[in-house]
Amino acid sequence: MKVMVCLKQVPHQDARLDVNADGTWIQEDNIKFEINSYDTYAVEEALRLKDAGDAEVVVVSIGPDRVTQALRTALGMGADRAIHVKDDAADAADALGTAKILAAIAKEEGADVIMTGLMSDDGNASAVPPMIAELVGIPSATGVTATEVSASSIKVERELEGGAYEVVELPIPCLMAIQTGANQVRYASLKGIMQAKKKPVDVKTLADLGLADSVGAAHNKTSTDKIYIPIKGDSAEILEGSTDEIVSQLVTKIKELGLL
Amino acid sequence: MGTILVVAETQKGAIREASYELVAVARGLAEAGGHEVNGLVIGSGVGELASEFASKGAGKTHVVDDAAAANYNVEIWSKAIKAAAAATGAELILISNTPTGWDVAPRVAAGLDAAFVSDIFKAENGEGGFKFVRRIFNGKLGAEISSKGQTVATVQPGAVSAFEGSSEGGTEALSSDTSAGVKFVEIKIAESTGVDLTKADVIVSGGRGVGAPEKFPEVIQPLADALGGAMGASRPVVDAGWLDHPYQVGSSGQVVAPKLYIAAGISGAIQHLVGMKASNFIVAINKDPDAPIFEVADVGIVADLFDIVPALTAAVTAAKG
Ligand SMILES: Cc1cc2nc3c(=O)[nH]c(=O)nc-3n(C[C@H](O)[C@H](O)[C@H](O)COP(=O)(O)OP(=O)(O)OC[C@H]3O[C@@H](n4cnc5c(N)ncnc54)[C@H](O)[C@@H]3O)c2cc1C
Ligand SMILES: Nc1ncnc2c1ncn2[C@@H]1O[C@H](COP(=O)(O)O)[C@@H](O)[C@H]1O
Repeated sequence: MKVMVCLKQVPHQDARLDVNADGTWIQEDNIKFEINSYDTYAVEEALRLKDAGDAEVVVVSIGPDRVTQALRTALGMGADRAIHVKDDAADAADALGTAKILAAIAKEEGADVIMTGLMSDDGNASAVPPMIAELVGIPSATGVTATEVSASSIKVERELEGGAYEVVELPIPCLMAIQTGANQVRYASLKGIMQAKKKPVDVKTLADLGLADSVGAAHNKTSTDKIYIPIKGDSAEILEGSTDEIVSQLVTKIKELGLL
Repeated sequence: MGTILVVAETQKGAIREASYELVAVARGLAEAGGHEVNGLVIGSGVGELASEFASKGAGKTHVVDDAAAANYNVEIWSKAIKAAAAATGAELILISNTPTGWDVAPRVAAGLDAAFVSDIFKAENGEGGFKFVRRIFNGKLGAEISSKGQTVATVQPGAVSAFEGSSEGGTEALSSDTSAGVKFVEIKIAESTGVDLTKADVIVSGGRGVGAPEKFPEVIQPLADALGGAMGASRPVVDAGWLDHPYQVGSSGQVVAPKLYIAAGISGAIQHLVGMKASNFIVAINKDPDAPIFEVADVGIVADLFDIVPALTAAVTAAKG
């Protein structure tokens, strides 16, 4: 069984977010990046399939040079090989363009199972995974928190609202967008990291995938015109002063609420 | 002008409130842009609900009524929505950003080769498309997005008030392929174990900013105890296995409204906010002055929680004498 995992590298969750000069994205220079939190669970879920049988795990990422680091980490965790789509035009693609690239790779690889994260921590689109499935023509399930694989199908639990789950059975081939907490993610071992150095990372461009004329900024159907730090409006009264002063103001408030 | 298609969701035999919020967004756009509004209802035995949707704002409502659609199914839904888009020539398709919406909407957009924008809370007519406002980076930044051509958008539940007017239009059966490879098995409800946050007068919740599992019993729980309340948490804390799921507050955890909610080291992503913003009084402690949690807090403290929380615990204990 061939399992393809789509992973995105995103700004570290604790990175400082400053708006860039043209106001359309964040300032990405000199900040730390990491594997999208949701995608770490997708990698783990794929590796569990491998541990349980004879699956090959291929990790795929679209992004600039820095993405190599994310792919190496996944290889260090145990993935078999990596594909890095490195092309400025690919980086500029919107969600549908991104999905077209990943769908092309899924078809080329003949992936039986595609695993992704539910959402990216930067753009928060939750868009790419079902799009890939639609373009490849396979079923999909999002918000997956548990999987049970048999020969020709996968039974998954999809998280709904407020503690409810939907159990569905997907015929293979299929795509699953994994929710955080689905498993406990392993760390790359020292041995794994050493072995990863010898594992192949294929670098591809849009031209290699036959997409040079259909994906990229010029083909986007959505564009980000402006990003900004939301104005806090008439919200919180900010307490100032030393820790003792702040705490005594808080105690007064709690007394006013009748809770002390 | 073209048509705006509003896709309804049913829950416990009724149209969801969120579907009427979609109607409100559609009616707002139609008022300025002159669009026609149409509805779509998918399910089994949903004829009456479709009539209700048609008369309460959605206008002419297309219905896919089939025993196979008794439970949500991604394939049946994506085919039905694409069929309705073709039948109406919809310029804009609105779907709620719910577990159903985020499962099906991107498939529809890809199938139609249309623009897709998710989890929007504001929409306007643009030139040859639409303009939307949404949040990115888990609520930390706002973003204005424009779309070109046919557009599929999901709308954040609760972002606008539900439409309360009426409309005419009636219903019309829509034929759509209801075969599917995906099989529904069952709905499971997580067993609740012990912790019932909904009964607490005071909840002290810790987030990823608490940093380590042992800090919950050491720092967060003592303040909850001093105030006679309960301890809660954001999702990453539960995902990491630091606390069990019953402690989780938010859209996929418990929805609470205590007299006092203290959030320490929680940024304020929408999925957390929907679980606690109805609290009577909210105190947020976060070292990032731009954290979105301050948008819903009554009182904010921009500081290290490890300075404030233990000092507050001591002061509360002292105040009790
Ligand atoms: C479908 C879906 C369902 C979800 N359901 C839920 C849900 O039910 N509940 C939920 O909570 N989330 C839920 N989420 C996740 C949500 O999107 C956020 O990822 C999550 O709420 C973030 O948790 P956090 O605020 O603890 O972490 P972060 O966003 O990482 O924030 C940590 C905060 O701690 C602050 N901090 C760090 N150190 C300190 C310190 N020493 N002192 C003070 N402040 C400090 C930082 O400034 C930061 O603001 C869901 C997401 C999805 C997609
Ligand atoms: N640039 C990318 N490279 C690889 N996978 C991606 C990329 N962008 C999105 N994905 C996948 O799609 C998921 C959802 O992302 P999004 O639709 O952007 O919220 C992510 O968790 C990844 O699995």
